[in-house]
Amino acid sequence: MILDLHNHSVASDDARAKVENYCQWIQRRELPLDGFVLSEHRQFDSVSDYRDLEDQFGLVILKASEVETEYGHVLVFGVNDDLQASFDFSSVKLSLETVLSEAERCGAIAVPCHPGRPRVGMSAHFEQLGPVDGVTVIETLNGGSRGRENDIAIELAEQRGYKGIGGSDAHIVSHIGRCATKIEREIRSIEDLVGALKEGDCEAVSYQ
Amino acid sequence: MEFNIDEMKEQYVDHPFDEVEFVVDAEDMVAFAQACGETAPHFLDPKAPDFRAVPNYASRYHGRRSLPKGFPVNMMASFDAGKSVEITGSIRAGDRLTARSHIHDIFEKTGRSGGMLFIVHRMEFSNQDDIKVSTVDWRMVVRLDMTRDKKAKRGAKTQSGES
Repeated sequence: MILDLHNHSVASDDARAKVENYCQWIQRRELPLDGFVLSEHRQFDSVSDYRDLEDQFGLVILKASEVETEYGHVLVFGVNDDLQASFDFSSVKLSLETVLSEAERCGAIAVPCHPGRPRVGMSAHFEQLGPVDGVTVIETLNGGSRGRENDIAIELAEQRGYKGIGGSDAHIVSHIGRCATKIEREIRSIEDLVGALKEGDCEAVSYQ
Repeated sequence: MEFNIDEMKEQYVDHPFDEVEFVVDAEDMVAFAQACGETAPHFLDPKAPDFRAVPNYASRYHGRRSLPKGFPVNMMASFDAGKSVEITGSIRAGDRLTARSHIHDIFEKTGRSGGMLFIVHRMEFSNQDDIKVSTVDWRMVVRLDMTRDKKAKRGAKTQSGES
């Protein structure tokens, strides 16, 4: 399956895309996506129900979160009540170590995103803060990256043996499908996705 | 400058700090609609049936203050971070609108350019019949790292001058 693992809807303060419009865009442009993940900034949308859109468009629509740590931004897949109670998703000063360990404890997985980006990418903080344990997967292809940001991420994954995922980081409709993740197994739920990522069944792909 | 967001929210969010009245002028409604590129007669012709203001019209009004008194952010260091308008009723020529302001939200985020503090100034517009017609959110952003960087640079200059 091909899933775009990093997108934002109007639920994020800086995004302008409605979920239905993402679906329409994927269908009209015949993008090679089987689904996508909504990773809203500093929050988890536990309310929205996209099952009707899934049925209407034949897409898998999953929900995650993008939180902010001292090492930059981190995607969290598999958010549940336990994890939401374990730290303040709205904080911009979370500890990456806490996010990683709490995600693991709650059956989720934390994935540093756009790690090659200045200020909000993990590699920008290694010199000052040192390397961090517990990372197994990073976002190696991000659709919003500039310059060498994705190259730095790929080099980082190669050096440290991380698996890579891809996501568009779309904030507007036409940006979905720029990057995605190829997963060999069938994904029908966020639990399926977490299982695949934990087992390294993921490959970043670019359509840019 | 470090901000304690929780304290700022406690002190400023949802506390009204300004109230202003406006009388809606037909010529002004037309000029605004033209500037928006509207072509529909009900926005451009005061004689048209159902003549009314374009949906974002309330965003043309400003209060007397952008921030409450004593708010710990220098307006001159902030810049516009966009606005959104929610329409709940029609604005007509001759309406007397009352706009009440409060800080709706304060939040921090980080981005490629560093840390940012966002302040959402909400103006709620009601007409002479006390019907709420529009809510406008004005977002302001202050770049936190720029403030810190400037201070650091000033510190570095001072230090180099001393050595």
